[in-house]
Amino acid sequence: MKLLKNIDKKTFIAIGVLLVVLSIVPHLAKLSTITLMSRIFILAVYAMSYDILRGYTGFINLGHALFFGSGAYIGGILFTKIDNTMGVFVLAVIITVIYCSLAAYIMGKIVLRGGGVIAAAMITLALGEIARNTAERWRSVTMGADGLPFKIPDIFRDRLGFYYYALIFLIIMTIILRQFILSPTGRVLMAIRENEQRATFLGYNTSKYKLIGLQVAGITSGLSGVMFGILNRFANTDLLSVQQTLNALLITLVGGTGTLYGAIVGSAFVNTVQNYLLDLRSVHPIFERWLLFFGAMYVVVVLFMPEGFVGLWNKYLKDRRTKKNSRVFEKGL
Amino acid sequence: MNPLLKVEDLVSYIGLYTILQGVSVEINQGEAVALLGRNGAGKTTLLKTIMGLVDTRSGLIKLDGESLVGKPTYGIAKLGIGYVPEDYGVFDQLTVEENIKIAMWKEDKPTLEKRDYVLDLFPDLKMAYKRLAKTLSGGQRQMLSISRALVNENKIILIDEPSKGLAPVIIERLAQALKEISKTTTILLVEQNFALACAVAERYYMIDEGKTVDDGTIEELKQNTELQRKHLGVI
Repeated sequence: MKLLKNIDKKTFIAIGVLLVVLSIVPHLAKLSTITLMSRIFILAVYAMSYDILRGYTGFINLGHALFFGSGAYIGGILFTKIDNTMGVFVLAVIITVIYCSLAAYIMGKIVLRGGGVIAAAMITLALGEIARNTAERWRSVTMGADGLPFKIPDIFRDRLGFYYYALIFLIIMTIILRQFILSPTGRVLMAIRENEQRATFLGYNTSKYKLIGLQVAGITSGLSGVMFGILNRFANTDLLSVQQTLNALLITLVGGTGTLYGAIVGSAFVNTVQNYLLDLRSVHPIFERWLLFFGAMYVVVVLFMPEGFVGLWNKYLKDRRTKKNSRVFEKGL
Repeated sequence: MNPLLKVEDLVSYIGLYTILQGVSVEINQGEAVALLGRNGAGKTTLLKTIMGLVDTRSGLIKLDGESLVGKPTYGIAKLGIGYVPEDYGVFDQLTVEENIKIAMWKEDKPTLEKRDYVLDLFPDLKMAYKRLAKTLSGGQRQMLSISRALVNENKIILIDEPSKGLAPVIIERLAQALKEISKTTTILLVEQNFALACAVAERYYMIDEGKTVDDGTIEELKQNTELQRKHLGVI
C-alpha cells in the first residue's frame, strides 16, 4: 500500500476516527454548520494549493486567486450558457484543468525568468488584477461587478449531499497532493525551497520544477474554485481579487506553511472564527468591525506561532524523533 | 591523451571585480589533482566558475571536449560534474536519506550500488540515515556532501576545502575516504591543508592572485620548501 507509506498506526487510526466523525456530524448539525463545514473543506483544498507554492517552493504568488476565481466562473458560465447537468460539470472540470494549466504555464514563463521573490510577487499581483479587471468589464458573460448567479446540477442541490461531495473532494485532493509532495519532484521542490542554488548544482533545472509546482497549484486552485462556485451558486470578481489570495496565505500561515495538512487545520480554524465573529455582530456593534479582531489574531499567530498549528506539532514530533535517533546513534558509538 | 577537464586562460568576475585573471588547469581521467594557494587566491572561484556559478569573461572550460562556458549550472552538473562546496551544500531540513536520494538522478541498480558504496565508505551516515541533516556534525555534513557527489555517474568531482573547520581526527578519516574515492573517481581538490592535499592528490596547481603560477607532481612540491613557504605558508 504505497498510498499509506509513512503513515504510522496511530495516525492511521486517528484519520479513521476523524472520517467516521465527519461522516456522522452533518446528521446532527444545523444546515448553517453543514454549509460552514463544506466551505472549510473546499477552502482547505484552495489553501493546500497555495501551500504547494509558498510552502514547498518558496514562491509568493499574489495572483493565485486568478485560478480559484476562474474555476468558479468557468463552472458558472457553463451552467448558465449550456445546462446545469452533471455532464456540464464534468466539462467544467476538464476545461478548468486545461485553462489553469495553461494560465499557470504562461504565468510561470513570465515570472520565472528571474528577478527574485519580490518581482515575482509583483508580477503575479499584476496578472491577477488583469484577470479581475477583465472579468469586471466582460459584463455580457460574467455580469461584471454584480456577480454571476447560476443554477447547479440537481445532485449538488442538497446541502447534506454536497457536504459529502466536498469531503470526498478534500480527501481525494489531499491524497493526490500528498503523493505529489512525496514524489521525487516534490522532494526537489523542498530542496528548492531550502536553497535553490544547491538544487541547481545537483543537476536540477529549478525553473522547470517551479513551473510544475505552479501548474499543480493552479489546477488544484481552479478545481476548488469550481466547487466553491457550486457551494455558493454564485461567482463574482472578489473571487479573483488579491484578497482571495491573501485568504489562502493566511489560512496556510495559521495552519502551518509547508505542511500540506496545515491548510486543513487553518481552514477549519479561520472559517470557524470568522463565522463566530460574524455571529457576534448581533451581540455588540463592535463585532461589525470583525476584521479588526481577525487582523489582531493573524498578528498574534505570526509573532508567536510562525510555524502554525501543524508546524508546531511537526516540530514537536521531529524533535522527539531526533532525540530518540541521537540516543540510538550515541549508543552505537 | 585529451584531458578530461581543460581550463585555459580563464578570466572570471563577480560584479565589478575580476577574480580569475588567467587560470589554466588540465586534469586527466582518473587523476586526483590539488588546487593550492593562499586564502583569496581564487581557488574557490575557479570551482564556482567551472560550475557556472560565477560569470566567465574570457577563456575556455571544456569537459571531455565540450565547452561549459555559458551553460546553466544544472546543465553543467548533468554533464557529469559533482560539486562539493565548502559550506557542504546539504539541505538541513531534509534527512540524510532524502539528501542522498535527491542527488540520485535515477534509482536503478548501479545508482543504488553507488549509494550502498558511499554508506559503507561513511558508516556515520548509515547510522544517521533517518536524521535531519541539520543535526549532523561538521564532519558528517562533509561526508554527506561528498556522498551526494558520488551517487551519480559523475566524470569528475570538485571538492572545495573539505577539511575546513574540522577536527584533526576527522580530517584523518576524511583523507582516508578521499584516497579511497580517488582510486575510482577523478578529483579536483581545493585544499589549504597541505597534509590532506598530499595524502589525496598526485599533482597540484598553485594559484596566486587569480593566476596559475606553478604546477607539478605532489612529490616535487614536497621537495620544494621554498614554494611551500611562498604560497602555502608552510615553514
